[in-house]
Amino acid sequence: MSADVDWGVDVKRSVTMTVNGTQHTADVEPRLNLVDFLRIDLGLTGTHIGCEHGVCGACTVLLEGEPIRSCLFFAIQADGTTITTIEALAVDDQLHPIQEAFHENHGLQCGFCTPGMVLAALAFLEDNPSPSEREIRVALAGNLCMCTGYVNIVKSVQAAAAALAGKAGT
Amino acid sequence: MTQHSVLGTQHSTWVGQPFPRIEDRALLTGLGQYVDDLTLPGITHAAYLRSPHAHARIVRIDTAAAEALPGVCAVMTGEYVARNANPQRMRIKAAGSPNVYALAHDKVRYVGHPVAAVAAVDRATAEDALDLIEVEYETLPPLVVAADAMAPGAPLVFDEIGTNVLWHDTFVYGGVDEAFARADQIVRERIDIQRYSSTPLETFGSMAQYDPSNGAYTIWGHTQMPGQELGGISRALRVSAGQVRFIVPRMGGAFGNKLRPLNLISLALLARKAGRPVKFIEDRREALALSQSADMQVDVEAAITNDGEILALRIRGIVNEGAGLDFALRHNVLMLANTVNCYRVPAVSYEGYSVVSNRPPIVANRGIGKPVMCLAIERTVDAIAHTTGLDRAEVRFRNFIQPDQFPYETPSGNLYDSGDYPALLRKALEIIDYDGALEKQREGRSQGRLLGIGIAAGVEPGISNAGHNALIGESKITGAGEAARIRMEMDGTVTVYTGGLEAGQGHATALAQVVADQLGLHPDQVRVPLTFDSGTHPYVMTSGNYSNKFHGEDVAAAIGAAQKIRDRLLNRASSQLDAAAVDIELRDGRAVVRGVPDRSVAIAELAASAYGSLAPDQAEIDEPGLEVVHVHTDPMAIRMDANRRVKIQLSFPSAAHVALVEVDPDTYETKVLRYVIVHDCGREINPMIVDGQIHGSVVHGIAAALLEEFVYDAEGQLLSGSFMDYLKPTSADVPMIEGDRLATLSPFTPLGTKSVGEGAAVVAPAAIASAVENALEPLGIRIGALPITPSRLWTLASEGGARYGHADN
Repeated sequence: MSADVDWGVDVKRSVTMTVNGTQHTADVEPRLNLVDFLRIDLGLTGTHIGCEHGVCGACTVLLEGEPIRSCLFFAIQADGTTITTIEALAVDDQLHPIQEAFHENHGLQCGFCTPGMVLAALAFLEDNPSPSEREIRVALAGNLCMCTGYVNIVKSVQAAAAALAGKAGT
Repeated sequence: MTQHSVLGTQHSTWVGQPFPRIEDRALLTGLGQYVDDLTLPGITHAAYLRSPHAHARIVRIDTAAAEALPGVCAVMTGEYVARNANPQRMRIKAAGSPNVYALAHDKVRYVGHPVAAVAAVDRATAEDALDLIEVEYETLPPLVVAADAMAPGAPLVFDEIGTNVLWHDTFVYGGVDEAFARADQIVRERIDIQRYSSTPLETFGSMAQYDPSNGAYTIWGHTQMPGQELGGISRALRVSAGQVRFIVPRMGGAFGNKLRPLNLISLALLARKAGRPVKFIEDRREALALSQSADMQVDVEAAITNDGEILALRIRGIVNEGAGLDFALRHNVLMLANTVNCYRVPAVSYEGYSVVSNRPPIVANRGIGKPVMCLAIERTVDAIAHTTGLDRAEVRFRNFIQPDQFPYETPSGNLYDSGDYPALLRKALEIIDYDGALEKQREGRSQGRLLGIGIAAGVEPGISNAGHNALIGESKITGAGEAARIRMEMDGTVTVYTGGLEAGQGHATALAQVVADQLGLHPDQVRVPLTFDSGTHPYVMTSGNYSNKFHGEDVAAAIGAAQKIRDRLLNRASSQLDAAAVDIELRDGRAVVRGVPDRSVAIAELAASAYGSLAPDQAEIDEPGLEVVHVHTDPMAIRMDANRRVKIQLSFPSAAHVALVEVDPDTYETKVLRYVIVHDCGREINPMIVDGQIHGSVVHGIAAALLEEFVYDAEGQLLSGSFMDYLKPTSADVPMIEGDRLATLSPFTPLGTKSVGEGAAVVAPAAIASAVENALEPLGIRIGALPITPSRLWTLASEGGARYGHADN
C-alpha cells in the first residue's frame, strides 16, 4: 500500500438541514455520520454515541419528528430535513414534562442513555398518549440503559404520559 | 420499613430523604460534558492498531506509509514506548518481572492488544492510517482456556514469569479436615462462570495534552482510582505526580470497567509525540473486548450433617485472568473473602489459582469474584436441600448467621457489621407468597409447564481494605479511606471536593444531603463538582469510585471536613454572640445559641468575616479563610494477622432474592415472571437512589445468568464482539423489580450505612440459577454453569443430560 491511495473521501458534499430550529449548511465528507455532524460540526454534544452499530439507541434524534439512530445515518442523507436533538426540549429554562418526569422518578443514573431515551419516549407518547406498562417496555426496547434496570424509566414514562394528558386537558 | 435499631443523637434533616438528584438537570438537557464532549484547540484523534492474533511474536512493523498520509500527526509503536516510558510495575511477586508497556513490545498476547497508535486530524483519518501500517507476525499457539494454560509444557504467555500460573495459594481457616472426618455426608458442586460485563453505555475515553515548556501533562480520562492511577501514570511517564494534572470527567457508567492505565499512558506519550492534544474514545468493539470479568471455575465440597448443617467448606477457585497483570489476583482475593456468604460455617479452606492466558486482560466488573462465589455457595446450598430432602429455604434458615451473633467474624477474618438474614428471607418469601407459588407450580407442572422458584441469599461485601493486598504479597498500599476538602465560600454556601468520582450513583446529591445536615444548610447550598481534578481535589491511594466505599469512606471524609468547618464557624459565632461554642448550633443557615432563638447570626455573615476581617485583632478570632482538608482513615481497616486472617472488606449489606421463572418446554427460553428482593443496606442516605441502584444491579445479575457471554473460539477470537451478539437486557426482557427493605445499622460507619450498588448483581445470578434448576426439576437437570442459554439447554435436554455445565471442563 502507498500513501497516495485515493480514499474518495475528500470529495465533500454540501448539506443543509434545520436543527433545533436553526438552519445549517456545511460541506461534509460523504462518509460522515449524522451523529458526528451534530456533535462535532454543530457542537451539539447532547446526542451520545454508545455503540455505532444501531443497537443501543444512545444516538437517537428526531428526524421530521420520527426517532432515528443518527449513528446509522449519513449526514448527507439528512440533507433538507428537520432534526430535533435533546438540546431543544427544555424551553426558557423549563424542562419538558418528560424531562421533568425522569427527574422526579429517578429515571436516570449516569445519564448517558437519557437524551436518546427521552426523545424515544417523546415520539412514542405522541403516537400512544396513554400506554400500558408492556407497551412502554416494548417501545423503549431499542434504547439500552445499563444503570436503571428500566424500572424507573418505565415509571417516568408513565408519569410523563399522565402529565402530558393533564396538560392537554387544561 | 423495619428499623432494627435507631441512630443515636445525630441530627438529620436531609439524610434519609429521597431528595431529587442535583445531577439530573445537566444530564437531561444534554449538558453532561462527558469526556467525548470535551475538546481543545488543535485537538487530534487517536486510533489503535490492534492485534488480530491471540498470541504472536511481532517480527516487523512498518509505519512509513501511515506517517506519510496527509492529516496524520504521529504514529507510535511499542518500540517508541519502551524507549520513552517505564514498564508497568508488577503488583505481585512473580519469579521474573515481565516488561509490560503501554503498547505491545515484543509479543501480542490477545486479540485486540494494541500494537500501534496513530494521532490524526480526525478519527476517520486515524483509522485510514491504521490500514497503512504493516505488521509481520509469527503466530504462537493460543491459550484460551485456563486448563490449557495450566497444562505442563504449555507455551508461556509471559516468558519472563516462567509459568502461566501467576499465583497459587491455599488458605486454611479452622478445623476443616476434622469437620470432613465427622461429616454425615459430603456434597460437591462445580460451577463455571463466563466472562461478562456491565458494559457502561459510554465507552472508555481519554484526552491528553503535553506542555513542552515545563514537561507537564494534562490528562482527562476515565479511571475509578485516581490516586493509584496518578501514581502509575507519572511513574511510567518518568515525571513527578505534580507534573500530571489528572482530570476525570463525569462518567457514563463505570461498574469497575473503567480502568485502563496503559491506555492513559500511551495516549499521553502520543500527545507528546504529536505535539498536539489527542483524544481517544473506544469504539464498542474495543470496549467489549477490554471490559471483561474473569471466566472462572469454582469447586465446592461441603461437609454436612443429615440435618443440613454445614460444618466446613473446601473451595478451589481457578481464575482465568487473561493476558494482563493490572488487575490480576483481585478475583481470587474477593472470592476468598466471601466463602461463607451468610452462613455460620466455622471452618473453610480456599485454594486459588490465577492463570494468565491469551484472552484479554480482565477488569473489575460489578462484584469482582463475589457473584461467582455467591453462586457457588448458593448452588451448594440447593444441592444440600436436594441431598437431604429438605426445603431450599429451610436449609438456609438452619445455616444463617443469627441476628444476635453480630458483629460476626468469619473464618478468614471479615467482621460482619450487622444483619438479620432470616428476616430478609422470611419477608421475600412472604412477598412472593411462597406456599401459593409452590401450589401454582404443582398445577403448572401437571399441565406440562416448567415453572421455577429460585431462592438465594447473600452477603454483598463492600469497602475494600487495601490491607488485603498482603494476602498476595503486596504491602505498599494499606487500609481504607478517602480525602475531602470543603471550602465555605464568602456567601456561606459550600463546595465539597473528594477523591471519589461520579459515574451515575448520585454521589453529589448524597454528599449534599450529608454536608447540609452537618452545617445546618439546605442541600442546594452545597456544591459538589462532579469532575475530579487533581489540581483541586484531594486524594490518597485508596481514593476513587469502587467497592461500594462511598457510603463509608467518602461520607466519613466529608463529615470530618464539615465538622472542621463547623468548629471554625462556631469560633466566630462564639465571639459574635458572646456564648460558648458548645452552646451554639448550626441550623437553617444560622448559628443559634441553644434555647435562645433570637441570639443568632447568619452563617453567611460568619463566612464573609472569615474572608474579609483580616485586621490583627479580628484575625485572631479564627484563622482567616474557610477551607479545610480531612483525610478519613477507616479504623476497621487493620492489617493482616499472623494467621493470614484479614478484613478484606469492611461493609456487609445483605439481601434475599426470590425469582419466579418459566422455561419454555419447546425453545428452552427462560422468562423471568416476578423478581423480589428484600435488602438491608443499613441507613439509607437517599432511599430513592438506593432503589435505583438495586434495580440496576438486579438486572445486571439476571442478564449475567441468562444472556451475556463473551464467547471465544479455540483461536482466541471473540465471537460476541457487538451488541448484536453480546446480548444486553432490554426493557422488554425484564420485569418490574419488587421488594422491600430492612435496616440493621452498621456500628462501624458514621451514619450506620452499609454498601449498596453491586450487591444485587452479586446475588441475582444465584437466584436465577436456582429458579431455572427448580423449573427443570421434572427433567432432572442440575445447573452448574452460566449463562443458561436456550440453545445449550435445548441441546442438553434433547440428549437427556443431567447437568448443565461447560463441556470443555
